[in-house]
Amino acid sequence: MNHEGTKEMVKGGGFSVIRVMSRRVFTRATGAVAALFVLGSCATDAPQDTWQPKGPNAEMIDDLQQPIFAVAGIIGIIVFAAIVYVTWHYKDRGQPIPEQTHGKPALEITLTVIPALILAVVGVFTVRAIFDLARTDATELVINVTGQQWWWEYDYPVQNEWGITQPIITSGQLVMPAGTKVLLRETSRDVIHSYWIPALNGKRDAVPGRIHTLRLEADEPGIYAGQCTEFCGLSHANMRMEAVALSKDDFAKWVANQQAAYKTPAEGTLAKEGESVFLNQCVRCHQVSGLKRPDGTLAIAAPDENVWSGAAPNLSKLMTRNTFAGAMFDLLRDDCRDDVWKAESAEFGAKYLAGVSETCLNVSDIRAWLRNAPAAKPMYANPALLAETNGKYRGMPNLGLSESDIDKLVAYLLTLK
Amino acid sequence: MFKVGSKLFLGLTGFAAVNLVAYVIFVERLAIGGVALSIVFAALVGLTAAIFLINEGDSEVQPRDASLTRASMWPLVTAVGLVLFVLGLVVAQVYFIFGIVVVLAALAEWMVQAWSESASDDVAHNESARRRLLHPIEFPAIATLGLGVVIFSFSRIMLAISKSAGAVAFVVAASLVLLVGSLFALRPALKPALVGGICVIGAVGIIAGGVAGTGAGLRAELVEAAEEGHYTHRVCGPEKSKYFDKKAMKTLSLRSNVAAVIELRGGKLTAEVYGFSRAQDTISVPRANPVTFIFRNFDDAERRMVASLGTARAASVPGDDEDESHSDKSAKHETCTQLIPQGAEQGLTITYNKPSIAQEEPFTLSVPGVDGQSIEVLVP
Repeated sequence: MNHEGTKEMVKGGGFSVIRVMSRRVFTRATGAVAALFVLGSCATDAPQDTWQPKGPNAEMIDDLQQPIFAVAGIIGIIVFAAIVYVTWHYKDRGQPIPEQTHGKPALEITLTVIPALILAVVGVFTVRAIFDLARTDATELVINVTGQQWWWEYDYPVQNEWGITQPIITSGQLVMPAGTKVLLRETSRDVIHSYWIPALNGKRDAVPGRIHTLRLEADEPGIYAGQCTEFCGLSHANMRMEAVALSKDDFAKWVANQQAAYKTPAEGTLAKEGESVFLNQCVRCHQVSGLKRPDGTLAIAAPDENVWSGAAPNLSKLMTRNTFAGAMFDLLRDDCRDDVWKAESAEFGAKYLAGVSETCLNVSDIRAWLRNAPAAKPMYANPALLAETNGKYRGMPNLGLSESDIDKLVAYLLTLK
Repeated sequence: MFKVGSKLFLGLTGFAAVNLVAYVIFVERLAIGGVALSIVFAALVGLTAAIFLINEGDSEVQPRDASLTRASMWPLVTAVGLVLFVLGLVVAQVYFIFGIVVVLAALAEWMVQAWSESASDDVAHNESARRRLLHPIEFPAIATLGLGVVIFSFSRIMLAISKSAGAVAFVVAASLVLLVGSLFALRPALKPALVGGICVIGAVGIIAGGVAGTGAGLRAELVEAAEEGHYTHRVCGPEKSKYFDKKAMKTLSLRSNVAAVIELRGGKLTAEVYGFSRAQDTISVPRANPVTFIFRNFDDAERRMVASLGTARAASVPGDDEDESHSDKSAKHETCTQLIPQGAEQGLTITYNKPSIAQEEPFTLSVPGVDGQSIEVLVP
């Protein structure tokens, strides 16, 4: 069919109706997408907003991205406007094809030199920011961070100046003093992960067999949310983390509590029965420092024999944290959690250090987790699929606990403060 | 209805279907092999359908004229491939794989040759059709094979001669390639036969050198290192190795993953841990994750660093799996670097599987002969 024939069909009959309708649909769809973008920028509950730096390292990135975004935005608008103008102004209206020419050296050189100059200027500031962000001098606190499917482990090496006289180990929430240059030494036990707390710094990959460093510093006490940003398997989207900044005094209290001796529950209590369940079921993978078996020997977990990554979260002071299961679930009920998250700087430390009380415990999620963990978080839990991992689990399996055992375990876990 | 082409492709499609079904039933339903076989089957279905649609160009099958055929080596090559295939089932996998490759290649060549010989009554045209179809495959394949042989031969030469001679040989070879390449570029009028001749002489020279190198065997240094075994120093006896990584920090793998650098200087043992501004007397390392320590000896005497690892179950080092001496998991064990002279350094990789609290005695790093100095390794 020739061009004219097509035009005639479009002008008359059903085609013109379809064209008008499709144009209307296109206009509405474009408007809807644009509105979504605009509305998206109005979100107030956005803890991982990259445009709200809360520490000097994130501010360094922000100072770089704000002007670059402005320059790129202006260039983008100019280019977009030029495309729209040319597309509209020179659309085919049956006019003769203009004279075709080739080569405008002055214009070509200008259009090459201007972007090159812009990129060179951007490059200078970018490289300087990269080097500044990579600095590790004047570090005040070192924390080892180890990623595995799908949670983060934090261990604090001995640092007497902070009162850390024996290594502290925790998970889910990174606790650090505010206004302090903290250096994370990151690595991974299985696949590549990436550590990212947007309010405190950029991303840094955690790679098996390597140690990468990332400096964090928070201006004020508070909780800063983050997310693994390197696809790492089935529950990558559920591999979250939170950095908790405390005042130096509060951090000292947290350190002291983490090093405090284990307290066994009182005899005859539900928690004591829960301790037995823990010894029978959970201690295969989860360590609770100081926990002893009935014969008086220390209960040593063996995640290296049962878990593919070789590690499972140490639960020694579980209820001093606000999250569990790779920070996917909250240990606190929503109202209690809001109370901590939205606390003023001066009050935040006390509220966080209070830990999880029986009234604030998020009972439904923790019970659901104990009842059937893989149903709550995808984790390759099917025993039939464990041949490739020598029978070792990736994540917590379904332990088949009875409701009675779950009652006991919840009571016991509440004592781990 | 069924002509030569459609019969062939129907047969291939049926063969692919049988393979796919057998694989899914006997091997694994969700394996990548099943996906690959499904794709092969789908492609063959498409090709077969296309052949039916074009009715094979409506060509009639002509009775084959014996004068158009020529002697073929492919039956012989196929037979050799089959022998290798069967031999490989008994002897070694490499023969099996090589046999399959030879059989498949020979069958493809044989099939195309047979097809081309019946394409027309013109022998020259038939040969041209065969070349047009196979040369785009044959030339890259032969070039890859040829280059592989040359590269392998060159590697044999480099492994046979000494390190310094190797450097010279490499420079000479690279210079010759540059020189001859420049000559070809500057003299485009050179006869193709001359260019081909020079290339062939060079390749034959390298292959001959490779054969000689294979005959001479590895240089003494490599033989000794292989006989010594990578982990023999772990017995921590009085042995002294001539060949070890004298500058461990020069290797990328160690530079990027050092938990701590342990230095012996002036009779004092210290640990430099990246991130800490001061030397440490304890090191915290994560559980169940390999960590590497570098030992640097600044002492006058030859020294080695010994890592006390508790029981074999508590910590492991590379090679433990094949080491019978560690079959007793409850036995205490240790590992160590080799004896290294002043100024040298060596890496030690250890995986601590159990926490420190599970140990009766702490995990430590120490140097025999240097009393009162040790670094405690803490595993939370």
